[in-house]
Amino acid sequence: MSSRVIHKHSRVDFSKPLSFTFDGKIYQGFAGDTLASALLANGVKTIARSFKYGRPRGIVGAWAEEPNALVQVDVGARTTPDLKATQVELYDGLVAARTSGWPSLAFDLKSLGGRFSRFMPAGFYYKTFKWPNKFWPIYENIIRRAAGYGKSPIEPDTETYDHKHHHVDVLVVGGGANGLLSALLAARSGLKVLLVDDQSELGGYLLSMPNVTIGNLYARDWVAKIITELSNSPNVTLLERTTAFALHDMNMIQAVELVQDHLPHHERKPEQRRERMHRIRAKQVILATGAFERPLVFGNNDLPGIMTVSALTTYFNRYGVSCGKNAIILTSNDLAYQGVADLAEGGMNITLIDTRANINPLWAARFAKLGVTIYPGYGIDQALGSNAVTGAKLVKLDSIKMSASINCDIIASSGGLSPTVHLFCHDGGRPQWKDNVLAFVVSATGRANAGIYCVGAVTGVFGLQESLSATCETITEMLAALNKKVESDDLSFNTDEINCSPAHAIFRIPTTAKAFVDFQNDVAVTDVELAVRENYRSIEHIKRYTALGFGTDQGKLSNVNGFAIAAEMLGKTIPEVGTTTYRPAYTPVSFGALAGAHVGDTFEPRRYTAIQAAHNSRNASYETVGQWMRPWYFPKPVEDIHAAVNRECLAARNNVGILDASTLGKIDIRGKDVREFLNRIYTNAWNQLAPGKCRYGLMLNEAGMVMDDGVTACISDTHFLMTTTTGGAAGVMSWLEKWHQTEWPELEVYMTSVTDHWTTAALVGPKSREVLAKLCSDIDLSKDAFKFMDWRDGTVAGVPARVFRISFSGELAYEINVDASYGHYVWEELLKAGAEFGITPYGTETMHVLRAEKGFIIVGQETDGSVTPFDLDMAWAVSMKKPYSFIGKRSLARSDTARTDRKQLVGLLTDDPNFVLKEGAQLINSDNITPPVPMLGHVTSSYYSAFLGRSIAMGFVIDGIKRRSDEGNNIVYAWADGKAVKVKIASSVFFDAEGARHDV
Amino acid sequence: MSNLTFNPVMQSPLHHFNLKTKQQHVDGSKGVWANEMPLLGYISLRGNAQNALFTKAAKKALGFALPILPCSLISTSWGCIYLLSPDEWLLVCDRELRTELQQKLEAALVGIHSQVIDNSGGFTTVFVQGKNASDVLHHCTVYDLNALTIGKVVGTTFGKTSVFLHQHNNGYKVIFRRSFADYIWRYLERSALPYDFGIANLGSS
Amino acid sequence: MFVINCPHCNEPREEEEFHYEGEAFIARPAEPETQTDAEWGDYLFMKKNPKGWHWEMWGHSAGCRKLFVVKRNTANHAIDGAWTLTEARAAYDAEMAKI
Repeated sequence: MSSRVIHKHSRVDFSKPLSFTFDGKIYQGFAGDTLASALLANGVKTIARSFKYGRPRGIVGAWAEEPNALVQVDVGARTTPDLKATQVELYDGLVAARTSGWPSLAFDLKSLGGRFSRFMPAGFYYKTFKWPNKFWPIYENIIRRAAGYGKSPIEPDTETYDHKHHHVDVLVVGGGANGLLSALLAARSGLKVLLVDDQSELGGYLLSMPNVTIGNLYARDWVAKIITELSNSPNVTLLERTTAFALHDMNMIQAVELVQDHLPHHERKPEQRRERMHRIRAKQVILATGAFERPLVFGNNDLPGIMTVSALTTYFNRYGVSCGKNAIILTSNDLAYQGVADLAEGGMNITLIDTRANINPLWAARFAKLGVTIYPGYGIDQALGSNAVTGAKLVKLDSIKMSASINCDIIASSGGLSPTVHLFCHDGGRPQWKDNVLAFVVSATGRANAGIYCVGAVTGVFGLQESLSATCETITEMLAALNKKVESDDLSFNTDEINCSPAHAIFRIPTTAKAFVDFQNDVAVTDVELAVRENYRSIEHIKRYTALGFGTDQGKLSNVNGFAIAAEMLGKTIPEVGTTTYRPAYTPVSFGALAGAHVGDTFEPRRYTAIQAAHNSRNASYETVGQWMRPWYFPKPVEDIHAAVNRECLAARNNVGILDASTLGKIDIRGKDVREFLNRIYTNAWNQLAPGKCRYGLMLNEAGMVMDDGVTACISDTHFLMTTTTGGAAGVMSWLEKWHQTEWPELEVYMTSVTDHWTTAALVGPKSREVLAKLCSDIDLSKDAFKFMDWRDGTVAGVPARVFRISFSGELAYEINVDASYGHYVWEELLKAGAEFGITPYGTETMHVLRAEKGFIIVGQETDGSVTPFDLDMAWAVSMKKPYSFIGKRSLARSDTARTDRKQLVGLLTDDPNFVLKEGAQLINSDNITPPVPMLGHVTSSYYSAFLGRSIAMGFVIDGIKRRSDEGNNIVYAWADGKAVKVKIASSVFFDAEGARHDV
Repeated sequence: MSNLTFNPVMQSPLHHFNLKTKQQHVDGSKGVWANEMPLLGYISLRGNAQNALFTKAAKKALGFALPILPCSLISTSWGCIYLLSPDEWLLVCDRELRTELQQKLEAALVGIHSQVIDNSGGFTTVFVQGKNASDVLHHCTVYDLNALTIGKVVGTTFGKTSVFLHQHNNGYKVIFRRSFADYIWRYLERSALPYDFGIANLGSS
Repeated sequence: MFVINCPHCNEPREEEEFHYEGEAFIARPAEPETQTDAEWGDYLFMKKNPKGWHWEMWGHSAGCRKLFVVKRNTANHAIDGAWTLTEARAAYDAEMAKI
């Protein structure tokens, strides 16, 4: 039975009791506990049911290596699934629950299956739930439900997250003995140092080894002394509760800090983050990531009450929890001994089973004094017990002779240490197997040229004194490379450790009982055997077939045992088998932390025009165009989009409408070669355009496909103002710069974006001239003085303005440009002036209908990167006679582009004037849809035109231009929503082909 | 028609946040203070820094030589000149000085390959100060503010968009385009929240 | 997430400030009209895709908006240098001459 052990080394504050709930039951713990330590102290042994077989499982580890104790923490919007109980700091009022065990922890349906587990070997799901395909969703549902795993919150997150960028000389990952020493030495040399550690308290495994001394100081006093010096150094930042989870190119480390999750709800501040992601660019990275102790594999090794020696020791020393009274310790090495001594001194009855026949005499003597019974050369064949461990059956290893059973309430095993090499390997580094320490380790200075240094257990140096000395050497080397000297004269690395004797290369003890390699994925030794028997050879394949090393723990405990067992079965050495690939993230990271501030109204830049407030006040409904928020339509009370758009369209055609066109890209281009530059960029010719005039231009990419369009004005012979599409503005700007910088640097032109400087109001409709006349006295607005496609400078409502007489609707129209600072003011003046004519603000939907009635294209709607000007029936906009071969010209003559039977843009009319075709509908030749049905094209734009009193559409049809005028061959069918609708191919200019309406 | 009278009113890009009504006297109570420096004059200038005719003419018009070192700026009697690119400068001045400056430049640069543009409607500036100013900006930009020494201006990221940044009066000026103002201000406010954020009465700073 | 030294801003900057502009030194044929479809197709579409060192163009989108040339190892993201468009040609030619 577990109990609290109150001793001076404990990091738990027994004066601060906390209450918490697990699976609906209230328990007590203390400040400084983790959920795991508190549950153990309360005697909770079974905390999960296993993934495949529903076997009861308990806590195995003490930190991120934990495979079993996945819990759901908190409720409602704050609930988080699959946290490891070993990493959850206890706070008052914490609510947690199991994530597995269906229908309950005490009885798991799958445990029935467990009795037939020989029928559920590796690959079981692949082999069983294969046919028929359509049943898979049902299988998946049942499997998922039975497997467990937590539930995602369904409410919106009420807390906030952010990212912070750091640029440091030295990043130290890990706040254990060697990380602290590294940070201290780096800090003393004046470098800017950041240290991150994933625990709530710095010190690493020293916190679990309170009786060890360094110099003349107990471990915790040594830690405290170093922390004091670091805290007083202005060039050092210490981040606790911060897990470095990824190392990317050029030492970009991502780390996530749990800012408030350890606090009781009432202490969490709404202005503080829940989690923060640190993005750290470090000139040097020191990996002091330590190691995890791996268990030994034996029969029934997954029973609750079986854990690692380091976990048992940590719970005892750090958290003051005695996980049992009678412990069996199984070890293959000396690293576990200090913990054994601490436990024995603390009053635990210990039976020590060492797989080695010879015990280090210094330790043997000490254990004898402590009353520890030792079985040298023995192993555990299998643990005994049904729901929790009650004993173990021993086996003498040299003879494989079964021996007596011993009673116990806890078993802890140690198979040696597995260094935490993950970060080192994320950007391509590989660990090396070292036989003398039986571990995959990384080199201390092997990647020094990349600025990556490794210290402590991750390098395979497991002794404390030896590792501290080695760390000092490594940091000396790092500093020397930076022309700095190490200052360590005042530091002593002498410890009172007993030197280790060699460890035993053993990973599993042969047994006939079920022996698990990977607890989280229920991978047993027999599964690895089976995979090899079925001829899987690569460890990466064995991993995927068996699921070894999958899941939220990513095999931190299981991988090396799995590699070793696979090596044994394959008849290879461990280094020949190698490791699987280590990929970010080291531990799971929440979506909240990854998103940071990129949520809600800062999810994406939302660009607004200067008239935004005016649109809001008129109840605009918005759509995003690129990053811009554009008014889509302006519904009056009870209007839906159709009613609003019909009203807006009629106003623009019959009276006057007004559109915010500020989002169009505007590029000021200047220089003596500007005409030549435009000749090369656009398909049409620019030599003859006189100052005061505008022209529509089409822009192609080099493959001959339309990429942008817009009106460009000639301000003077050396000065033009180009407009682009809203979404294409930034791309066109880079496009112009690219050609100028790479191919035509000799052309004297400069271009600068003026998109944001101008507010553009398009005044559209037969009454637009009268409205403008009320606000503008210095431009002669008469038909002949200010012609279609002219522009003039003047003042509008007392503000300097540049007015273009251009039209995207076919109506008489003026586009009024003013300094955006005056944009809102001028807009309101225009609306006031237009009130007597019923001026109607309209949005992009009406703009689309108006232009479609005239057959004007929208780049990105009629075009998709595969459309030439000829496909659009816009040969009039292409000048093939210009001397320079403009961008895209040569491609127009490529065999495929020059075909005359390409898909071409045409107008489409339904028989039923009220039927609006679906945009994207496929166009086919008949209403017989027996496959194969040749696809002729598709509908690109389709609207109801209130002005024409009927639906109109545009779309692409193979050979459409020819078919348009072929009365016998101009019928196609539009296929959508399970229906084929008869459509007549027509001109895409649905009215006023001669342009009489704008010519007034 | 000639008897039209109007009273044009300007609005800065951050007008809708009503910052003026929220501003407080700057003291030590907040970690970060910020406010918009609204409605300044912005002139974009392009030209060839290697062309002595251009640099001389610009110097004559501006009264100061253009900065030509990468990422450099100079303060002048009338405002600031930022080098944004080897052939691009941004001149920032009081709004009233803009037209005169622009006309002087255009007059001096006649016949010299260059570009002078009034871009005043297109930009704004936010001043950020306080003991946590650089912390807050490190939430917003990937640039290492420790490298942003006095006299240096950099174009870099801010959230998912870009800005120009430089040190100013123990704080930072952030210069950006009008249409991104709403996003940038919200992003700044959001980033500053944990440090306690105040709208500063910037006075003459 | 690497760092590129912008040769115009003259200091290392984070990758987020830049955009990729494809393979460097793909010159536009001087007389496109005389090119066969195959030759023109090569210019348009055929790009090197080496595992290893690659000469490529990057643009400093958040900074000076200039294009420049980077020699980058596509296998491990190592960067061997960054040059302005004018400097880059000589560096590239010198390396090609060695091969």
